[in-house]
Amino acid sequence: MKVTTVKVITILSILASGLWLAGLGMTIKDQFFHGAVSPVKESHLGETANDKKERFYLVALGDSLTRGTGDESGKGYVGYVLDELKGKTKQPISMANLAIKGQRSAGLVKQLQQIEVRRQLQQADVILMTIGGNDLFQGGETLSHFSIDRINKAKVDYLQNLDTIFKTIRTVNPQAIVFYIGLYNPFNDLRDAKTTSAIVRQWNFDSAEIAARYPNIIAVPTFDLFELHVNDYLYSDKFHPNKEGYKRIGERVASLITLTKEEGK
Amino acid sequence: MINLVHNEMVKIVRKKRLFIIAAIIAVLVALFTYAQFKHVQDLQERLGTNDWRTQLQQQIIDAQNRLNSSGLSDEWRKYLQIRLQQQQYYLDHDVNPSAPGAPTFMRMFIENSIDLFLPLMVMVIAADLVSSEASGGTIKLLLTRPVKRWRILLSKYIAMILSISFILLSVTIISYLISGAVFGYKGWNLPLLTGFTINGEELNTSNVHLLPQWQYLLIELGLAWFVSIIVGTLTFMLSVLMRSTAAVMGIMLAALISGAILSSMVSSWESAKYLFMVNLRLTDYISGTAPPINGMTLGFSMAVLAVWGFIGFVVSFAVFTKRDVY
Repeated sequence: MKVTTVKVITILSILASGLWLAGLGMTIKDQFFHGAVSPVKESHLGETANDKKERFYLVALGDSLTRGTGDESGKGYVGYVLDELKGKTKQPISMANLAIKGQRSAGLVKQLQQIEVRRQLQQADVILMTIGGNDLFQGGETLSHFSIDRINKAKVDYLQNLDTIFKTIRTVNPQAIVFYIGLYNPFNDLRDAKTTSAIVRQWNFDSAEIAARYPNIIAVPTFDLFELHVNDYLYSDKFHPNKEGYKRIGERVASLITLTKEEGK
Repeated sequence: MINLVHNEMVKIVRKKRLFIIAAIIAVLVALFTYAQFKHVQDLQERLGTNDWRTQLQQQIIDAQNRLNSSGLSDEWRKYLQIRLQQQQYYLDHDVNPSAPGAPTFMRMFIENSIDLFLPLMVMVIAADLVSSEASGGTIKLLLTRPVKRWRILLSKYIAMILSISFILLSVTIISYLISGAVFGYKGWNLPLLTGFTINGEELNTSNVHLLPQWQYLLIELGLAWFVSIIVGTLTFMLSVLMRSTAAVMGIMLAALISGAILSSMVSSWESAKYLFMVNLRLTDYISGTAPPINGMTLGFSMAVLAVWGFIGFVVSFAVFTKRDVY
C-alpha cells in the first residue's frame, strides 16, 4: 500500500514536471519570441451587448460635486437623490457615478468619447451632471489673480465644451432627461461677494442658455440654496458643500425627477 | 539512480508533509473562494448590476478619483496609473479580465501566492532534506553505502523537484475543484490580454495579444514552478550548510518576508533588483503590473533568479562532497 502511494505520487510528479516545463517553454515562446502581433480588435458601441433592463437607471457625470467631495458619508447629492427615489418607488433603481474629482469641461468631453461611458449613457433614464466649477474657479486661481478677462476667456471655452457635451449626450441617448446642476457661490460671505455672485449668476445664465438649445436638458439652480448662511452648508474647505448642502441639492433634484416621470406617463 | 530517487521519495511521503501541504492549500482555497464570492456579491449589490463593463468602468472612475487626491505616494500613484491604463485597454477591447469561473480563480490564486505562499510550502519540504539527516545522524548510514556522494545529493535534489511539481499539481487540482463548486467549472477558453510593457508611468500596448485562459494559466504555472525551484534550491543549499532545520526555515522565511516588504519600498534603491526576493513575482510581467523597480523585465528577473539558483546548486554540491562527516 505504502509503496504504491509513493509510486503514484512519483509518477504524478513526473507528469506534472513535464507539464510545468511545457508551461515554462510556452512562456519563453510567447513572451520573448512571439511573432508579429495581430492587433486586438477594439469594441464598438453596436457590438457590445445592450440588454435594455427593467430597472430605472441613473447615470451621474461631472466633477467633485457629483462625486460627493465634502460629504462625510460619501453619498453626495447623487446618493440623496437615490435615497429619495428609492423611498418613492418599488421599481429597482441602479446608479453609476462616473464623476471625477477636479474634472473640467474639456475632460468631460473626452470622457464622453469612451465606448463604455456611452454605453452606460445609452441605458440611462436620468442623467445628473455638474460641470464648470473647476473651469470657473480653477483651484482658487480665479480669486487670487482676479481678472474679468481671464474668466471670460475661460467661459468661452467652457460654453463650447458644454455645448459639445450636451450634443453628445443627446446623440447617444435622445430620451433620457438630463439635469444639469448649476453652480452656487461658495464665496458668498467674503468681501467681494457682490462681484463673485455676479460672475456665478452670469455663468449659470449662459450655461442655462446652452441647455435650452436641447430638448429635455434641465438646468437646476443651486445658487439660491447657498445664498443665506452659506457657511452652514459648506465643508471645511469652504468650497464643497457639506452633508447638509448636498442634502439640499439632492432634495431639489429628486423632487424634479418624480415630477418629470409622471409627466412622461 | 532511480532507486535512490525512489528512496528519497519514500522518505518524503513517509513524513506526510505532502498531505499536510495539500490540506493547507485546501483550507486556504476554501477561505479565498468565500472571500471572493463575498466580494463579487458586494460589488453586485453596490452597483446594482453584474455587468462586468459597468463594474470595470466604476473601478476606473474610482482609480481616477484616487489619482486626483493629494497625499498619494509616488509608487502608489504609478501603480494606479498603470493599472488604470490597463483596465481601460481591457474595456476598450471588450475583454473581461475577471470573468467568474474556476480558471479565473486559479489564475488569481497563483498570482497572489507566487511570492510567499508557494515558496513557503516548498520550504516545508526542502528545509530538512539534508539537515534532518545531519541532525538525526542518519547521514552516516547514508554515506557508508557504496554510492558517490554527489549521487546521493542529486537524488535528494530530484526528489525535491518532484515534490515541487506535486505541490503545484495539488494547488491546481484543489483550487479548481473547490472554487469551481462556487464559480462554475467553465472559462478555459476566455481570452486574456498579455504583452503589456511598462515605460515609467506609461503602459505600452504595442505588443499586446490575446491568449486563451488555459494557455495563460499554463504560463503562470510554469513561472510559479520556476520560482518554486529557485527558492527550493536556495533552501536546499542552506539545508546542506546547516544542521538545524529551524535555522534554515528562519533564514528563508526572513528572506521571503523581507522580499515582500522590500518590493513595496525599493523603487529608489536600484541595485536591490539583484536580490532574488524582489524578483519572485514573475506573473506580474505576464499580467502587466508595474514592477517594483523601474526597468525590471521578465527576462531580467528570470536571469537573476537563475543565477541565484545556479549558485545555490553549485554551493550545495561543492560543500556536500567535500565536507567531513563525523
